Amino acid sequence: MRLPYYPGCTLKTTAQNFEESALASARALGVELVELPRWNCCGTVHALAKDDVMHYLAPIRNLIRVEEMAESGLVDEKRVVTLCAMCYNTLKRANAVVKEDQEKMQKVREIMERENPYGGSVQVVHLLQVLRDLDWSKVADRVERPLKGLRVAPYYGCLLLRPRGFGIDDVDNPQVMERLLEALGAEVVNIPFKTKCCGAYHTVQMKEVVAELSHRILDQASSAGADMVATACPLCEYNLGPRQEEVKKLFRGFAPLPVVYFTQLMALAFGLEEATGFEQNDPDPRPALRARGLLKEES
Amino acid sequence: MKRMSGYPEYMQESLRLVEKTRPERIGKTFPAMTAEEKERILRDWHPDYKEESKRPLRIGPCKGQVMPHEVADILEAHPAITPDEIDLTDIAYDLDVLVIGAGGAGLSAALLAHENGVERDRILMVQKLRLGDANSKMSQGGIQAADAPDDSPTLHYLDVIGGGHFANDPDLVEALVKEGPDVIKWHEELGVIYDKNPDGTMQLAPGGGTCRRRMHSCKDYTGLEITRVLVDEFLNREIPYVEFTCAVELLMDDKGQVAGSVLYDLDSDEYLIARAKSTVLATGGFGRLHIQGFETTNHYGATGDGIALAYHVGARLRDLDSTQFHPTGAAYPEQIVGQLCTEKLRGRGAQPVNKYGELFVYPLETRDVEASAIIRECYERENGVVTPTGMRGVWLDTPLIDIINGEGTIEREFAAMFRNFKKFDIDIREEPMLVFPTLHYQNGGVAINTRSETSIPGLYAAGEVAGGVHGKNRLMGNSQLDLYVFGRRAGRFAAERAKKISLGKLTLSHLDRYERWLAEAGIETDRRAPILLPEYRGKRTLEHQLKLL
Amino acid sequence: MMDDEVEMVTIYVMGKRHRVPAGLTIMKAMEYAGHQFRRGAGCRGGFCGACATIYRTKGSYKLQGALACQKIVEDGMYIAQIPFSPAEKKTYNIEELRPDAGVFLEYYPEIARCLSCNTCTKACPQDIMVMDYVQAALRGDVEEAAKLSFDCIGCGLCAVRCPAEIVPYNIGQLARRLYSRHIVGPTEHVLKRVREIEEGRFDEEIEELKTLDREALQERYETRERRL
Repeated sequence: MRLPYYPGCTLKTTAQNFEESALASARALGVELVELPRWNCCGTVHALAKDDVMHYLAPIRNLIRVEEMAESGLVDEKRVVTLCAMCYNTLKRANAVVKEDQEKMQKVREIMERENPYGGSVQVVHLLQVLRDLDWSKVADRVERPLKGLRVAPYYGCLLLRPRGFGIDDVDNPQVMERLLEALGAEVVNIPFKTKCCGAYHTVQMKEVVAELSHRILDQASSAGADMVATACPLCEYNLGPRQEEVKKLFRGFAPLPVVYFTQLMALAFGLEEATGFEQNDPDPRPALRARGLLKEES
Repeated sequence: MKRMSGYPEYMQESLRLVEKTRPERIGKTFPAMTAEEKERILRDWHPDYKEESKRPLRIGPCKGQVMPHEVADILEAHPAITPDEIDLTDIAYDLDVLVIGAGGAGLSAALLAHENGVERDRILMVQKLRLGDANSKMSQGGIQAADAPDDSPTLHYLDVIGGGHFANDPDLVEALVKEGPDVIKWHEELGVIYDKNPDGTMQLAPGGGTCRRRMHSCKDYTGLEITRVLVDEFLNREIPYVEFTCAVELLMDDKGQVAGSVLYDLDSDEYLIARAKSTVLATGGFGRLHIQGFETTNHYGATGDGIALAYHVGARLRDLDSTQFHPTGAAYPEQIVGQLCTEKLRGRGAQPVNKYGELFVYPLETRDVEASAIIRECYERENGVVTPTGMRGVWLDTPLIDIINGEGTIEREFAAMFRNFKKFDIDIREEPMLVFPTLHYQNGGVAINTRSETSIPGLYAAGEVAGGVHGKNRLMGNSQLDLYVFGRRAGRFAAERAKKISLGKLTLSHLDRYERWLAEAGIETDRRAPILLPEYRGKRTLEHQLKLL
Repeated sequence: MMDDEVEMVTIYVMGKRHRVPAGLTIMKAMEYAGHQFRRGAGCRGGFCGACATIYRTKGSYKLQGALACQKIVEDGMYIAQIPFSPAEKKTYNIEELRPDAGVFLEYYPEIARCLSCNTCTKACPQDIMVMDYVQAALRGDVEEAAKLSFDCIGCGLCAVRCPAEIVPYNIGQLARRLYSRHIVGPTEHVLKRVREIEEGRFDEEIEELKTLDREALQERYETRERRL
């Protein structure tokens, strides 16, 4: 029996006895180990491949910009605010990793070469955290048009909460969006799937996976009587919103449910209707808002 | 001194004087010269007026025309090839329109030939170097066009013809000034980014010899921006082109028409025949001939090929006695000596001052007068600064630009200048530039009419290779304009002609005729033209060279 | 070499050792050493990008980019020119395009592979923030991409260095044309003047100037009002 044999570098250097004994024993058993005529390192020790420094260049560069911005006096603090859950998660994790791992920080500096060194002084936060720190009463005071009677199901998805320790709130039962919606005068519809995954990037190649996951979340919200779902992530918004076209194909009788960003509801409640941009949402949330008497325009 | 200086220690005292007089000079200027003063200073100090630098041409239809020795040398030279080396029956390209040269004029001609009904596969552009590599790309300061409300083509006409010492062809000047605004419109349609004011109007600067602010700019990369847009558009149209291929002679037919060109591939050293019903010469000027030994602002390929090719077929030339020396070429550091320091610097407030920090000339005289004044300041009055290599120069006080127009102006509007000096530790926001006139432009060239036709049927010329538009002195920003006005015309009329005419039998007999002219004039020489590329190899190398391959 | 007066340095042009005077640009040093450029030389003034060059200096593993006409030789410098960067320029009708991120993704989809590693920026001899303009294009900020890329001379060094195999200069060119054509648009006073000229508004004035003799014309020129 002839079997292809991949030796690896060590077997040719410090573990020659390992190879020699193996080949000999195998041959004794009638097994011929035939070395790959052309091979390279299995990949385990390539410094540039093994470490993941490349992953950190983009996020850390942005954090360097934050430090530069703060130093030039353009802003009051180095707490950088994000909106997109994906960005929040990426920046936050990268920040934590390089702050802890000085060696990695050094490598990032070396590869960047021309940038100012990152001082590690930035804190990455999400707008929801900033709102929470402001105090909900302050938010409530600013409301001009309470979202009275509007039933909203908050949906967090993964990236605002996971992994543990990196989230903006309790992993299992987050409450920050709930408190915001209450402050805006809306009625919170609690759904158990509010922290379940929407299917994320499967949306590119496996639409049906996303449709199925989205359906479960949306169905729960509808069943609980929600007028719409509020989210903080553009990818969740896409998978729960526009992807309802796929949901419709798979689930007969599915009734579309609008999905909006929490900020759109906040702008509406603050009387900033011109800044809401509901016309970009799909499905259109305006009929539901109109039904609750929350839109100025009559048409 | 606190600040860093890119200049040697011995220049520091002069620099301190410049700095000292700077506050007094803000808002001040030097009186402009009268007509008589100008005439005198040109006669006494302009390199063009040195009798011994020129001679009358001894052969051909323009025999007797006076021109610099270096130019006469390439005209009184053997053609680069002899007819018996070339097989005229082996036609590589059969064309309606052949465009020679891929700078602003050539690109415009090719685009317009295409727009005027020539199928793209019946057009060919050949270029000695890369597509778009030309002096057109190096223009920094701007392009003139009389489109401001307080300006008019009439005023532009007066500026052009007065600046050219009334030697210009009035019809060409009229075409130039009247088509200016349309050229700008065309550029914007194609996507050229011009500098604008916050209200959306053009940001316009004055230039030497202009009576209005008429200079449109794209920072100090005006030529680069326009050329790269035209190249991009040219590539979008998928018009055929060949790079690193020179025109070494024009072809004629037995009806006396120009009928294309013998091309020479710089990679394979082979020749190729391009037969064409119309041929557009857009080969640029002769800066790399280093007239009177001057350094030049010009592109590597600016070896005056076009005038040689045109003269070989007997085309009329004009105004070649007149050469433009740009008043402000870099005089220091050595590595960039001769490179252009754009006139826009003076347009935005920089003043030429002598080693004592004194004004000595109105900063926006026409180029010939400004250059003469700088030469006089250095060589008659001995008020120049001498560089470590013995060159002389005067200061161009650039820090004034930021003082007058606000901090950040230099970095924003003079990105190229700022960058190119910064490489040598000279921060032109803090320190002046040391400048001296540099060889810049071929004022004359192949005579054309308003259809860009030369005196030989089938041959068109546009851009720097052509003469007549600028008379004896060109104003800043008018060569950029000239490229597009006459390049577009060349393309349009070349296309029209190609639809109407038919070619006879191809011939190179004009080269034999040229040899006869040389022989009759008793000229014995081993010079050949066109020379195609300048020779900058080390002396030692050339002395030891054998041509084995 | 027997030159005692000038300080000489050693350079390696594509591996071959030459002694050249210190202070020369790479281009002039190569000429001194006997090269006559066909490719790899252009404007010789930092405006055309024909002389893109890569080099390493003594004791450094860093591969650096420069323009041969602008960079001074250093002792122990290894030099190779890259006068051409292989890349397809997509063809389009600028008039029909919309100035948004979609255009870039349609013509140059590889732009989405940008890792923000900034290698392009480090390679740029013009010190342009190349990565930043690629990123701007990727997010549809055509104006930012146009402005950041404005000083690009198209030398191609960014394109040969990009690990994602993006051709940044093509992106910048597209962004700039889109910006001018579709975001800035035409200039009102230019269009107005073009119409006036077409209507023949200035014909008589210029015709009259053309009839003047030299002296009268010169008088007109000398006395024209200057408003600068």
